[in-house]
Amino acid sequence: MMAKRPISYAVLRGKVIETDLIEFGGRGGDISFLAPDPHKIADQIPLASPRLMEDLYSISFDQILDYLAELGPRLELGRNPYLQEALEYSYDTAPTTKPIMDAFYHDLPFMFDKERIRKMVDFNIGIDHLEGWVEQQLNGSTVGIRAYGSRQLHIVAGNGPVLGALTVIRGAVTRGDMIVKVPSNDPFTTGAIARTMVDMAPDHPVTKHLAVAYWRGGDEALESKIYQPHNIEKICAWGGFASVKHVTKYIQPGIELISLDPKRSASIVGKEAIESEEAMDDVANRIAADFATGNQVACSASRLVYVMCGTEDEDIEKLKQLGQKTYDAMLRLPEVISTKPKRYDPDLKRQVDTLRLNDDFYTVVGGRDDEGAVLVSHTSDRVDFWEYLADRTINIIPVDTLDEVLDVVDAYTQTVGIWPESLWDTVRHKGALHGGQRFVELGYGFNGAGLVGPQDGIEPMRRIVKWIVSEKPLPGRPPLWGDSAKDVKMLA
Amino acid sequence: MATTAPPQGASRDTTIEREAERWMNDPYEHFGYHNTRIHTLPREEVEAVQLAAMNLRLQERREQVQMLAKLADGQGISQISSLDEMAPLLMPHDIYKSYPVSLLAKQQFAKLNSWLTKLTRYSPEDVDVSQCDSIDSWLTKVRDETPLDVGASSGSSGTCSFYPKSKRDYRLSMTGMRVQLAQKFGEDPKPGDLEDKIHAIIPLYKDGHASMGAFGKYSCEIFAKGDPDYWHYCFDFKLSSDLMWLAARLRAAAAKGDVSKVDVPPSLLARREEWEQSQKDMPNQQLAFVNRMIKELQGQRVFVMSTSNLLYAAAKRGLDEGLSGVFAPDSVFMGGGGAKGVPLPDDLEEVIEKFFNTKRMISSYGMTEMNSFSVLCDHDRYHVLPWVTVFLLDLETGQPLPRKGEQTGRAAFFDMTADSCWGGLITGDLVTVNWDHQCECGRTSLALEKKINRVSEVQGGDDKISCAATPQAQAEAMDFLTGFGG
Repeated sequence: MMAKRPISYAVLRGKVIETDLIEFGGRGGDISFLAPDPHKIADQIPLASPRLMEDLYSISFDQILDYLAELGPRLELGRNPYLQEALEYSYDTAPTTKPIMDAFYHDLPFMFDKERIRKMVDFNIGIDHLEGWVEQQLNGSTVGIRAYGSRQLHIVAGNGPVLGALTVIRGAVTRGDMIVKVPSNDPFTTGAIARTMVDMAPDHPVTKHLAVAYWRGGDEALESKIYQPHNIEKICAWGGFASVKHVTKYIQPGIELISLDPKRSASIVGKEAIESEEAMDDVANRIAADFATGNQVACSASRLVYVMCGTEDEDIEKLKQLGQKTYDAMLRLPEVISTKPKRYDPDLKRQVDTLRLNDDFYTVVGGRDDEGAVLVSHTSDRVDFWEYLADRTINIIPVDTLDEVLDVVDAYTQTVGIWPESLWDTVRHKGALHGGQRFVELGYGFNGAGLVGPQDGIEPMRRIVKWIVSEKPLPGRPPLWGDSAKDVKMLA
Repeated sequence: MATTAPPQGASRDTTIEREAERWMNDPYEHFGYHNTRIHTLPREEVEAVQLAAMNLRLQERREQVQMLAKLADGQGISQISSLDEMAPLLMPHDIYKSYPVSLLAKQQFAKLNSWLTKLTRYSPEDVDVSQCDSIDSWLTKVRDETPLDVGASSGSSGTCSFYPKSKRDYRLSMTGMRVQLAQKFGEDPKPGDLEDKIHAIIPLYKDGHASMGAFGKYSCEIFAKGDPDYWHYCFDFKLSSDLMWLAARLRAAAAKGDVSKVDVPPSLLARREEWEQSQKDMPNQQLAFVNRMIKELQGQRVFVMSTSNLLYAAAKRGLDEGLSGVFAPDSVFMGGGGAKGVPLPDDLEEVIEKFFNTKRMISSYGMTEMNSFSVLCDHDRYHVLPWVTVFLLDLETGQPLPRKGEQTGRAAFFDMTADSCWGGLITGDLVTVNWDHQCECGRTSLALEKKINRVSEVQGGDDKISCAATPQAQAEAMDFLTGFGG
């Protein structure tokens, strides 16, 4: 028997598929992995008929929560060989390092906490809307609204293994039928969760309504078969356009696209940050926590820090100190939060080294050992390669006014970290007008409520359900026949 | 001249250093302007001279070019004993746009001059530019008062790079073109190849600070021997670097969906329409110009430097009208891709060769940041001049790939003839070289395979999905949005 090779299992509606394996990946130094030939299982990926959604309505929301709560502890790494295997293989495919991946996997069970999920659902959709018709009397009618589960396809991002788990939770609580197309940078985790579900409750409706598989994004023969209105109603696609671009070909009446676009994040800091040693230490810790966590692979990781400290020479000297302190703070972060990057982008390295020669305009702190770097601008210019900042590399930029900062907040800006409190109301309000989508206190970008509410300015949870309306006339409403018919006003 | 430092370690070979100095200073004169001789030197001899030249240049330039001094100090390199040891001292092309862009927007040309001064052995910072109110006026002042003729080019990201090239660099570059293009490889140069005035037809601008604009006047010097009657250009005005930059920024801003954020002086913004108008009429004017040249210079020896598509359009029309063989058979045509995203027709060479009566339309590979152009041979390889050392760098590590077998990597060059700047450059091009292959064309000089890509185009993974934005993702997002509902 040959050495064991990584397999991205397909798990289709309670059935684990590990036959007809073919090889994927392996380009550009990536590991290759095996996955069931998607063409052989294409017919089993979508739900055969919307009729088959009925079983999801034979169980209550609480029963779904019970299911998830039972699943959570089973995802504890120590007792789950599927996850152990997936983690082992993911070290190679993931964009982050071993300690960070270990931490992600360690925290996975906690996502399935019953109360956490209950609050998230209530905050987003309202449990009563999922459990039945929410009715009120309106314009002479009893109008009911109910959120129905949809047949949905998720094209999940791979920069964190938690995203597959989040998708499963979101789909389950909304009684959706989920097809999860896993990415090549996280091809193992979601399958391992699904295998655990099959072991736990192979015939449970939630298990039966999850199909996990890998195929190469852009496999037109396969996608044109699956991406049809008779198979799916919603496509929820994250970031990477290699997959999304192809998806758009299949968008037609009957299929709605929920697109979580590529984003970047920034921080906006007041002059107070450089006014005392204590403030500098505090802000440095906060900046480091917001950019270096998870090694900056998430879109919510800050990449540009604007400090409204002015651009006079003495301001710049202080800013350099802040840069040094931020770098030191980054190095102090525990390795479950941040490590030396797995691989420092060689192009970025070249750019950072070039910047080092230009010390009239920029100060480069660190970066010689591929550990990450703090790039301090001496003018109000961000570095020329700001769009490529990654691998624990941040640009700190001095500005004179808030307006200069707001100009760079746009529709691609997800999270904006704000400090101090006095800037909060203004930056949040003006920032939202410019396109910013999430505002946090500096330092808490990764240490908040989690992805519990709207995301990227939209509400994915409210959008993966179908909002159905029922209407009945109140007693005494005149019909469209008989003597009263001509007086009825039909209003849209 | 090179300062001579005392030998370190190994004893110095002064013979080879003297040879290296000749190559560095005026290589064409040294080889009697003999194209065939230049391209048939033994490889070992070439590499020995290259190594000697690198050490001479390093000693000399680190005293003169501050950025190089900083780089060499940082790397702790003062002397090299193999070609590969030069790799850490090659400068990424981005260095020539490493100034804060607000300096340009705020027209702080004195500060830009101080920055430029760190990249050249000349001193543009000595020039008073306080009265300059545009990129054009700034670069013209520098050109008038120093040996420099700065090459400006705009990128798709809305930045503008400035390569502080000297006039001497441009002349060397153009001389290399005449030597390599006018002479047929394998034959001795004919007296006319070297001495005659050759009509230079440039369907572009009379002047400008971008290569496209600057080539005109240097081709007049070198091909037309300075005779204005032999110099033919399409546009009797200067290609404006201000407008080029504005265009680049507007394009970059449009890609992001917010043109209102482009921070440019209103005087310049007012010229946007002018620029768009001239761009619009350009192809027709160029075609009319080429057609006029065909009539006026029938049977004469000409040098035409143009884009392939333009030559094709003129030739196709001529053939359709039953004309052919309009210029003398020893005329030289240099076409270029130029038109990114515009596919070249399949019968391109056939049509152009038939109509213009030329044996072969010649392509070349070069860039503003290098003096030396590499000309494509009959076997589809770009042969590199012996005074240029080629490095292929590993895309991942940046380390030089072995100089043997077939290798593909990021192209980097050391051009020992660079007069103003440090000649070591890392490009954004992905190039293949077969180090051991002896080209069937007969040249012994090192050659790049014809297919050259941008590194940025070939990178990018399988279907890794990340939620973090990159410019590519955004460009694709734009395609996606504009394609929607359309």
